[in-house]
Amino acid sequence: MPLLDIKNLTLEIDTPLGLVKALDKINLSIDSREVRALVGESGSGKSLVVKSIVGALSDRWQVTADRMNWKGQDLLSMSDSQRRAITRSEISVVLQNPATALDPSATLREQIEESIADSQLDKGWFWQRRQQRREMAAQQLHKVGIRDHDLCLASYPHQVAEDIAQKFALAMALVSNPKLLIADNPTMGMEPTTKVQVLRLLAKLNKTRELSILFVSHDLLAISAMADTMTVLYCGQTVESGKMSQLKRRPLHPYTKALLDSAPSFRRDLPPKAALSCLDGTIPTLQHLPIGCRLGPRCPRAQKECVKMPDVRRIHDHHYACHFPLHRDKT
Amino acid sequence: MLVYLGRRLNLLFFTLLILCIASYTLAFLFPGDPLTNLSGNPISSEDQAQQLRMMYALDDGYIAGFWQYLKLTLSGEWGLSLTSQNPIFADICQFLPASLELSLYAMAVSLLVGIPLGIAAGLNHRRYTDMSILSVSLVGFSMPVFWLALLLILIFSLQWGGLPMSGRVSLIYEIPQYSGFMLVDILQADIDNKKQVLMDALHHLILPTLSLSIVTCSLVVRLTRRSVINVMASDYIKAAYAKGLSRTQVFWHHGMKNALLPIMPQLAMQFTVLLTNAMIVEVIFSWPGIGEWMMQAIYQRDFPAIRGGMLAVSALVVIVTICVDLLIRTIYPLSKKQLHAQV
Repeated sequence: MPLLDIKNLTLEIDTPLGLVKALDKINLSIDSREVRALVGESGSGKSLVVKSIVGALSDRWQVTADRMNWKGQDLLSMSDSQRRAITRSEISVVLQNPATALDPSATLREQIEESIADSQLDKGWFWQRRQQRREMAAQQLHKVGIRDHDLCLASYPHQVAEDIAQKFALAMALVSNPKLLIADNPTMGMEPTTKVQVLRLLAKLNKTRELSILFVSHDLLAISAMADTMTVLYCGQTVESGKMSQLKRRPLHPYTKALLDSAPSFRRDLPPKAALSCLDGTIPTLQHLPIGCRLGPRCPRAQKECVKMPDVRRIHDHHYACHFPLHRDKT
Repeated sequence: MLVYLGRRLNLLFFTLLILCIASYTLAFLFPGDPLTNLSGNPISSEDQAQQLRMMYALDDGYIAGFWQYLKLTLSGEWGLSLTSQNPIFADICQFLPASLELSLYAMAVSLLVGIPLGIAAGLNHRRYTDMSILSVSLVGFSMPVFWLALLLILIFSLQWGGLPMSGRVSLIYEIPQYSGFMLVDILQADIDNKKQVLMDALHHLILPTLSLSIVTCSLVVRLTRRSVINVMASDYIKAAYAKGLSRTQVFWHHGMKNALLPIMPQLAMQFTVLLTNAMIVEVIFSWPGIGEWMMQAIYQRDFPAIRGGMLAVSALVVIVTICVDLLIRTIYPLSKKQLHAQV
């Protein structure tokens, strides 16, 4: 049984023009010990997926799903307190822009200690527990690569640098010993050495503590090093998902192919100074969504049928939603 | 912090200095003899005039004159009122506490009512609670103070007759003045029907306080509501929900502080608006405060009194503003980023 299983997640935003489907029938599942990458260009709704999983929603958003199960329990139909208990102890999240996700008027110490659940402490008296919380916080900061923990913990969010805030957010997510870590662009703005350290830490936790990771990023190199499986989003629709190796070797959806081609490091055959390939146009805004397959207007293989939404088809573990997939031309 | 404190004290010093310069200049700009305007003595003989000129150092040039004026002002010699021939400083000491008392109670009432209502409206954004609170506050906000006061008198004093319409306490009671704050004085006074007097004073307080605080309260509601809405929609509140905290935990640990601290300066600034409104309300309710006293002075062209009252009220406003600024600085971490004063 998968740890997290999402089927047909739809998120509608209430705009003056009526309800707009920002996410349209997203499918996503994460097994335990799996590292799944969630990929897509900016504006494709990656962060919305993250926010709807952890329930950090604005009240103008409506989330519906056929299934949104955590270990077999439905997250959407359970009571608020049950869902909170799960997000508190088992799911942790690093949101995008950690500097704005930290409370500006509280010190970092207060914020990280808030994330340590009482059940994680084993000492009896409150001063012993306080001491234990402090030690746990300091240890976790060392693990993510913040050396001067006292200075960091005594600071307010506006006093620390962006990359420290990023690492701190990661420490705060990991300190509660979660089963699933949802990391929304966790290495954004870090210099390459620290980035490697953080990725290595995540990989280590994945091996030793059986931490599952939903890794949301643009960074295809980091993803291909870390992830076992990958889900590709385009404009609020899942276009393809499957094993990383399979997707890299033989992408079926034209968008996945364009995405992989746009990263030069994946293309060995690229001659020096050759033009880099990318799709024409930009991702459509929410006010002007095309009907049917949303890639339609930009797709090099689009035909008349593409105005209808393609069904999700599947070959073994490989799911794709396209009328005219690559490598499988109808003859 | 020391640099900051120095900057604020510097600001305080220079603002007060400029106020003094302005008030000194007024004595020469007002119609009539500057000597009379400064001292409040109608000059009757050459001898007396010479004496006063010596006292105010008027013959030694403006700078020496101003220096002398500054010394006299600091030692409490603000001259005499033209109409009553009372020392102005003593008058101000007597009347200012009454205004302060009224404004303080009105401020307390508007904060105690306004902040919870604003929070309730902000948390229930776009629901009926929010809309009803907002529309009521809009009505309160758009009502002129003087009209509201007259309306309250009409309804509660004339139609219903339950509440008195003027004064601080009924004329049959005699309260010795210690601090100038009526309630404090009554509690300190050595009288046998203390409870009765206290009730009477409270009855007198209700209408002026109400008419002052309705406007301020609706301002407070709107400020708080906007701030709560902004904070509750911010990323760190969502992050706190994502941590698995409950609604109440999120609000008390993260929402409340961030919503209220940034609007503290604006809330405190309401005090000065309140003081201005208090002057109008005092006239309507015949409340023996600085406002009514100054209105009388203005009607009777009592220039020394106008000058003194202006100096006292504006100095009070400046001091309150700087104190609030310092207070906020000590409790709100984000404000530590800014070194310079802001208006």
